[in-house]
Amino acid sequence: MPATDYQASFLGRISIRRNQVIAMDGNHEQELQDLELFSKHVSERFAELLSSPDDVPFDALLSISWLRKLLDFFLCCEAEFKGILMMGNDPSQISKPPLDRLIPEFLDRSVKALDVCNAVTNGLESVRHYQKLAEIVVSALEQKPIGDGQSRRAKKTLTSLISAMNVDDKECSAAKATERSWSFSRRGVSSKDRVPEHFRSVSNHVAKNWSAAKQIQAMTNNLVPPRGAEGSGLASPVYTMSVIMVFVMWALVAAIPCQERNGLSAIHFPAPKQLNWAQSIIGLHEKIGEEWKKKEKKGTAGLLDEMQKMEKLGNILMDFTDSFQFHGDITDQKAEEAAAHAAELAEPCRRMEEGLLPLQMQIREVFHRIVKTRTELLNALDQVGKSSPPLL
Amino acid sequence: MDGCQSGVPTYEGDLHVVAAAHHIVKALGATKNLSDDLRKILIDLDSHLSMITSNIDSKGGRGLVDVEERLDQAERKIMRWETDPMMIWDSGPKEASDYLEAVDETGKLVDGLRGLSVHENRKQKEILHRAMNILQMAMSRLEEELIHILVRHGQQFEPKHMYSRSIRKDIVYDESFVSVEDEPIKETSSRNYSNDESGECIVDLVHADVIPDIKSIAKVMFSSNYGPEFCEAFISVQKEALEQYFSFLGTENLSIEDVLKMEWTCLSSKMNKWTWSMKIIVRVYLASEKQLCDQVLGGLGSVSSYCFLEISKATILCLLNFGEAVAMGPHRPEKLLRLLDMYETLACLLRDIDTLFSEEAGSFIQLQFHELLERLGESAIAAFEAFRVAISSNGSLYPFAGGGVHPLNKYVMNYIRMFPEYCNTLNLLLKNQHPGVADQVTEPDYGLDASLLTSCPMAYHLRSITSCLESNLHKKSQLYKDEALQHIFLMNNIHYLVQKVKGSELRLFFGDEWIRKHNAMFQQHAMNYERATWSSVVSFLKDDNPGSSSMSKSTFKERCKGFSVAFEEVYKTQTSWSIPDPELREDLRISTSLKVVLAYRTFLGRNLAYTDDKCVKHTVEHVENSLLDLFEGSSRSLRNSRRW
Repeated sequence: MPATDYQASFLGRISIRRNQVIAMDGNHEQELQDLELFSKHVSERFAELLSSPDDVPFDALLSISWLRKLLDFFLCCEAEFKGILMMGNDPSQISKPPLDRLIPEFLDRSVKALDVCNAVTNGLESVRHYQKLAEIVVSALEQKPIGDGQSRRAKKTLTSLISAMNVDDKECSAAKATERSWSFSRRGVSSKDRVPEHFRSVSNHVAKNWSAAKQIQAMTNNLVPPRGAEGSGLASPVYTMSVIMVFVMWALVAAIPCQERNGLSAIHFPAPKQLNWAQSIIGLHEKIGEEWKKKEKKGTAGLLDEMQKMEKLGNILMDFTDSFQFHGDITDQKAEEAAAHAAELAEPCRRMEEGLLPLQMQIREVFHRIVKTRTELLNALDQVGKSSPPLL
Repeated sequence: MDGCQSGVPTYEGDLHVVAAAHHIVKALGATKNLSDDLRKILIDLDSHLSMITSNIDSKGGRGLVDVEERLDQAERKIMRWETDPMMIWDSGPKEASDYLEAVDETGKLVDGLRGLSVHENRKQKEILHRAMNILQMAMSRLEEELIHILVRHGQQFEPKHMYSRSIRKDIVYDESFVSVEDEPIKETSSRNYSNDESGECIVDLVHADVIPDIKSIAKVMFSSNYGPEFCEAFISVQKEALEQYFSFLGTENLSIEDVLKMEWTCLSSKMNKWTWSMKIIVRVYLASEKQLCDQVLGGLGSVSSYCFLEISKATILCLLNFGEAVAMGPHRPEKLLRLLDMYETLACLLRDIDTLFSEEAGSFIQLQFHELLERLGESAIAAFEAFRVAISSNGSLYPFAGGGVHPLNKYVMNYIRMFPEYCNTLNLLLKNQHPGVADQVTEPDYGLDASLLTSCPMAYHLRSITSCLESNLHKKSQLYKDEALQHIFLMNNIHYLVQKVKGSELRLFFGDEWIRKHNAMFQQHAMNYERATWSSVVSFLKDDNPGSSSMSKSTFKERCKGFSVAFEEVYKTQTSWSIPDPELREDLRISTSLKVVLAYRTFLGRNLAYTDDKCVKHTVEHVENSLLDLFEGSSRSLRNSRRW
């Protein structure tokens, strides 16, 4: 979108406001400038995320590095948002309508976001497990010449990997210790390829009956764009930040295995397209939402780019190991292909090895940041409450 | 070796020796801390051995026959179990060691065959593939055996012998103060855990007898490059065992939202439980887990710490999240002690955490611990402030009946009586709260230097809390219309304050000077009370003209009547007043008695001539006895009871 459009529409809104507001002092001018800058930055940042090229795997949509960028931008927006809200010349604003209603709603959303952060952190443990399994597959198929034993080894691990990644949310959240008691009733069945046992599911829940989808749905409660005169005041950054927060949490849940995600694609953002900063977010939401709908039916661990690559290559390699066993031996060409795929599989493994821990730490940073801002806002509300006695 | 000496090398012998030597060299090469010299020797040896193998290779395939025979043998041993419903390690040590031997043999053969160049020899390639296939089967089996052993011999331990659970009663800040009782609180016994008592508490998470079995499985799996499989299986089982133990402790996962919404009594017990579980999980469970990892995987470089981290991370984060949620919650005064408990627990576990997660990958966990500690500290300070605010802002519309000890006073004093237990922590946390008292932090060893204790940050804050309390009590005293009752109220309450301070460790922090001052204060109120109540009563008995011998009868009658009415009035009102402390009550009665009874006796003595008159309503004894009824808290009247 050309920048001039953006400016024109923004200035348009300001001029409307100018007519409404009789006197506008310097503070207001400053505030308006800050708001303008804020939504400009939001717009730029998310446009960058939307334009992530799919052909550069490193920065692809929902790749680890993309998510890290997303979280980086979240932290930047958050810092700016807090600046606008707290550094303003009139701190008592946050206790006056409409902020007296919007801020508590925002804080409520923040708390919900914290639980999402924790659910996603748990989910990353599963991703770590997939990575380890995929690494075993790679090391099995790297061996030259590839023989039946290594093919079996790869197949066994691939079975674990694929079934772990295809666990749908229901199973995920219902996986209780009892169901996973390591039973060996199958012993004696003379099967060369027993279903592998080292299958780990998301067992550390946020809480019983907790649902990521419901949580995010609840975050969108009362989330409506400010109307009329509210649109030019502090209500607008609160709304913007809320949308960003909901979107970031939604994207994380879509990407990373998480407790209960049924209905994730049904979540709509009440972000009107005419708001410039929202366009890229809406674009991203649509793009990811489409992906999710495609995968949701099959049941998926998540849309994380590296995981999807793993899944795709895993299936190819699974076919290879099947045909290996079926034919007993394999042509050199097939073997080379398999080796090439294995080498390809090593790539997402490597990126996970490099990126998962930093991602986990960054999610934790987001967590702490949200906590901190919440505390500061509560303190500010408290201060305002103390300094201005209630009008009785 | 015979073959070498005879100069007629048999291929089987060569192959055997070379494969074995190769194996050893590889194993040695995997050792971490080798000197450079030694490493170089090993590398040389490795290439030398490779030369020999290629020599054998060029001489022909006779050795392969023998290799095949050995592989057949190993295969038979390994395959036998594929159809056996029993687990190998359950079947006996002989079976297990036979199996391991066969696996080991297969592994050696694979290594040996790999060491040979396989480009041309089709037969050799076939044998290698077969061997690897058998090895894969065996590894898959070992993985199952491993899981089976870990599950079957995993041991849960009862946590109760390790820590006595805190049974301390909660003191809840509650505007109505219905929950305040003045019972002595069972304290200290719950907090007598010492830091080292639990330090040695390492238990066997897996029965000690099977550790060698697990180790031997680890050894053979790692040497066959199946280490990752071993780790994933090991982590899965141990992680789940930890999660099970976690729920066995009764610690459930709670979302932050749930914690923030939780009612205080429930939250308080969860906070208690957290403190308790945290200690057990870190000091006992994780320490034991770490030991198990080291026992099984020691010597394999960072594998042990990697497994440990993967096993424990999720549970640790779960515990930390509860702490975060608590620290985020509203800072209500009653949370203070629980927060301090959590803070102290975490503070004394920091060293353990830093040791357990000393590797770089674990620094994430370390960091989270440190952050939570800081957060809990801030939260405790905020709760402390809330406590102070609650005290000064507690307001009443009506005077407290009877003028006894106000519940706010009881609440505050019973609450702060527990602060000395947290002296070190509070000093640390409060240090920066008021610049004036910043520098002095005291040792826990109270009593040695009392003057130092009275000047520590906590002492300063304690005194500031009681002074908030005192000014609030003064405000409350203003609600009484009767000036005398104002003094009774203040006397009672300040006396209570002093008693509480004197009767506990608080005295060390308040100091003698404070106690002296406050003793004087309540005594002053007692005197003020006497003046306010009795001056006017006694004034009837005063001799207006000390010179003359006696007053006129009519004056006497009038004075007598005035005195009786006034006395009866006081009696009626002040029997309903209350001085809960028996000693204080007694003291006040004595001093009142001294003043009133003496004056009355003198008055009657001086006017002996009229004393048989009916106008003397009360005898001296009666007045004296009646004074004993005052301040009992139940209203009585003298008018209707003519007891003489």
